[in-house]
Amino acid sequence: MTKTRNAARASGVIATVSIAALLVSGCTRDSSSGGPGADDSASSPGITDDSISIGISSPLSGPTAGPGSCTIAGLDSYIEAKNAAGGFEFGDGKTRQVDFTYLDDVYDPAKAVSNFRQLINDGIFAYVGALGTPTNAAVMPIAEEEEVPQVLLTTGARTFSSDQDAHPWTTGFVPTYATEGRAFGELLAKEGKPVTVATLAQNDDFGQSYLDGFNEAIEGSQVEVVADATYEPTDTTLDAQVTELASSKADVLLSAVSVTPLQVGVLTKAQSLGWLPRIFLPSNTSTPGTILQPGGAAAYPAVYTPSFSKNPNSPAFANDEDVKAYNDAFQKYGSKIATTYTPHCAWSYAEGAVLDEAFQGMEEPTRESFMDSMKSISGFQAPLLLDGITVDTTTKDDAAISTVQLVQYDGQAGFKPVAG
Amino acid sequence: MATTPTSTARAASTSRSGSTSRWRGIAFVGVLAVALVVAPLVSSPYVNYQLSSIAVFAVAILGLNIVMGYTGQVSLGQSAFLGLGAYIAAYGILHGWPGPLTLLLCAVVPAVVGMLVALAAARLRGLALAMITLALPIVGVPLARRFDDFTGGSQGQVVSWLRAPESTGLANDQWRYYVVVLIAVVAFVLARNLVRGRIGRSFAIVKENEAVALSMGVSPYRTKVLAFTIASLLGGVSGFMYLAIVQYTSPETLVFATSINLVAAMVIGGSASIIGTALGAVYYVLVPVLAGQVNSSRTALISGAVLLAVLFLLPAGLVSLPRRLARLRSSTRRPHPSAPPTTSDEATHRASAPSATTDQHS
Amino acid sequence: MSLLELEDVTASYGHAQVLHGISFSLPENGATGLLGANGAGKTTTLRAISGTVRTTGRILFEGRDISGLGPDRTAHLGIAHVPEGRGTIGQLSVRENLLVGAYQRRDRKQIATDVDYVLDLFPNLQERVKSNAAALSGGEQQMLAVARAFMAKPRVILLDEASLGLAPSTARRVYDAIVRLRHEAQVSMVVVEQNANLAFSVVDDATVLETGRVALHGSRDELMGMDAVRRAYLGG
Repeated sequence: MTKTRNAARASGVIATVSIAALLVSGCTRDSSSGGPGADDSASSPGITDDSISIGISSPLSGPTAGPGSCTIAGLDSYIEAKNAAGGFEFGDGKTRQVDFTYLDDVYDPAKAVSNFRQLINDGIFAYVGALGTPTNAAVMPIAEEEEVPQVLLTTGARTFSSDQDAHPWTTGFVPTYATEGRAFGELLAKEGKPVTVATLAQNDDFGQSYLDGFNEAIEGSQVEVVADATYEPTDTTLDAQVTELASSKADVLLSAVSVTPLQVGVLTKAQSLGWLPRIFLPSNTSTPGTILQPGGAAAYPAVYTPSFSKNPNSPAFANDEDVKAYNDAFQKYGSKIATTYTPHCAWSYAEGAVLDEAFQGMEEPTRESFMDSMKSISGFQAPLLLDGITVDTTTKDDAAISTVQLVQYDGQAGFKPVAG
Repeated sequence: MATTPTSTARAASTSRSGSTSRWRGIAFVGVLAVALVVAPLVSSPYVNYQLSSIAVFAVAILGLNIVMGYTGQVSLGQSAFLGLGAYIAAYGILHGWPGPLTLLLCAVVPAVVGMLVALAAARLRGLALAMITLALPIVGVPLARRFDDFTGGSQGQVVSWLRAPESTGLANDQWRYYVVVLIAVVAFVLARNLVRGRIGRSFAIVKENEAVALSMGVSPYRTKVLAFTIASLLGGVSGFMYLAIVQYTSPETLVFATSINLVAAMVIGGSASIIGTALGAVYYVLVPVLAGQVNSSRTALISGAVLLAVLFLLPAGLVSLPRRLARLRSSTRRPHPSAPPTTSDEATHRASAPSATTDQHS
Repeated sequence: MSLLELEDVTASYGHAQVLHGISFSLPENGATGLLGANGAGKTTTLRAISGTVRTTGRILFEGRDISGLGPDRTAHLGIAHVPEGRGTIGQLSVRENLLVGAYQRRDRKQIATDVDYVLDLFPNLQERVKSNAAALSGGEQQMLAVARAFMAKPRVILLDEASLGLAPSTARRVYDAIVRLRHEAQVSMVVVEQNANLAFSVVDDATVLETGRVALHGSRDELMGMDAVRRAYLGG
């Protein structure tokens, strides 16, 4: 008796709650993937006659927070300054304000996917400039499936640019690691005399693509690799590797080490052994203040690093118009997001200009039209890029910036063009 | 016997309140079941992804709770088993193995690895055991980078799979939701039965007092190995689920930070509690999202503040919230809450218990 | 044949020898007491039997030498140790604690019967059967520890200072239940107790220890009649 009454009560509760749940959330869901703003069939989600929304997910906390924040701060500076000046002009003759949404993924692929889905849900038009190889690799298939542009990524991995026919919605922005390695090889090969090289690289595909680029460039030249060593990112010291390489007495050390304290250790250890080769460092571990000065890099005959952007803090560019514009905009907008400078701040500012360029070529308010325009930029001199470096998005197998210039450490806080 | 009438009355009243609470429990489970089934049909793909993520990490935290919450052994390596499971799933799917077989391997292989580690480590106590588990993700990340034929190296592996069969009429996100939620529900039901049964009691006794465990014929060593093995198994299964919804795995999947966050989520949800485990997973997934909506540049700070707030206000975790509220309500109603029967021997017991249980002198 | 027999047992913690040759025996269905001042070696004697301290000499249980066996093995053979400090599992309920005691048993029906029996034996526990053991009073925890030991269906229970920290009336109730248990369930017991009045309510005979040696052995009546024993252990 009691039992049946209780059962009836329980099933009544279930029924009521489930009906309520259905009513509250609406019986059907929007079957289009666009989310809000998808009502106009002609235009893609996230774009109206006077606005367009773009989004990004980068690490804003955790170990990669510095570069991650800068990939947002520079872009934000460009966008907000342009918005304040009236907005972006589009190829369809309209002027739009850009809504910029950014989220933190802590360099975690699962969170990046979550953020990307959230941004799509919020109705962004395109996903621009995100930092990180694993995070972007996780997002790429979803971008393809949902046909959302995932462009101008801040990662040196080849995957995002090397096969654009296979991944039509994705493009990379900064030079790949192979490009950097190739630039080193070319410089040595061009010297036209016998040179011996020792290489030190991270024991993974990053290190490998560095070496691949380098080896391609020195093929058939008089440059010879006489010693090589690898390390794990978790190693606490590279003294053993450096000692082994030093015994080769090579003329040149290619130190493709991407961990800041380890790179400092390499520079101090080699000179303590009395080995003073010319040194090549990757762009992400060649900052004077944190690596070259603590490592005593001035002791070496020459320290090279690839570069493609101007350092806005360098006195050499103090009177450059682009640098002034950047500094004003960054002061006003970006400094709220990134507190310390890394080159990514300058890169993402330049990326804002590339985005602007793509908007100008966009004749329809659709993602397809945006991608067409995005992939037809060539010879574009974006602000803050070094003279001679231009943006070319028309190649099907490389990032938007596919050349670098080598610069040489000036022994203090900056770089100078490579002598000779 | 003089006590008979009252004790019969008491038995009757407990059985009546027992039956209402049982019916309330059944109603709760029923509502939950309906909500779990209906939710993906009416939610956006984004919401379904979040709900699926909660299911994935709930299973990882469930494993952690079995070894830490229920058995009292510190494990800082759960992310390694999550990552191992994800890599096995990726390898299996990319090589065309059937899904159920892949799932089975995602459970068995991490369980065996976990058991081997535990066989060596469970003889150690406290910090030494913690250090060994700590080493797992730290060793695992470079291994995952190095064996790139198997793992895809630093760039990881995209695995596009688990598309909704045409016949179901479901979207992919809905289908994947059902798959991971089904696995999670099965894992939770099995774990609940486990911890409520004989094995669960052996976990509790090992956690509380190994000497007593021995005197009851419970081997602390074997119990710890078992708990660790089950935790690894669930970690591996959560890796399978991770691949199901993220469709991607890389060395980042098993980084140490994930282990720490899982431990924090377990404590926040409620140590040694099944419901607390689910709440911990909700916390793990949703707090960063909510923090991002408050201020994307301050997610770490906001998440940390929430963590501290919960720990201060609810030291026993989110699961203790109803109890806590009830206590607050009763204490406002009655300024002097009826204290539990405090006798003089109780007071002495409280004072002497810690030393008495640990060192018996003659 | 005795159920349990100690022959010249010594034991030490590190370099400190605590027992210097203890001998006594416990007959089948018997109960014997160990009396003595603090540090006399009573608790260590129990630990020697249950296997939690290294020993020399012989410890015969049902005619078999069990010295050197660990506590899990002796538990398996049917020796249940109720340690000083009780060792109840705070986060488990009273019922679950009782089931922990039955960990080695597989006879589910008989276990359920035995749970009902001990709850009847200790009505205080019956009232709090669903409470966590941590919420029990000291007396209730002691009752739970004794009840749990019984749940293992042991041949012998080693009872260590069951009255420690309890109010006199509570201690009396605990011992009343122990007496009932001894006679109803026919469990043998070795009882260590500071309070000789309580001890003598259970045991048939007792051994008095002094600094790790046997000072005296006698039946309950003999010992109660001795002035020295009265003065030392019976408070007058």
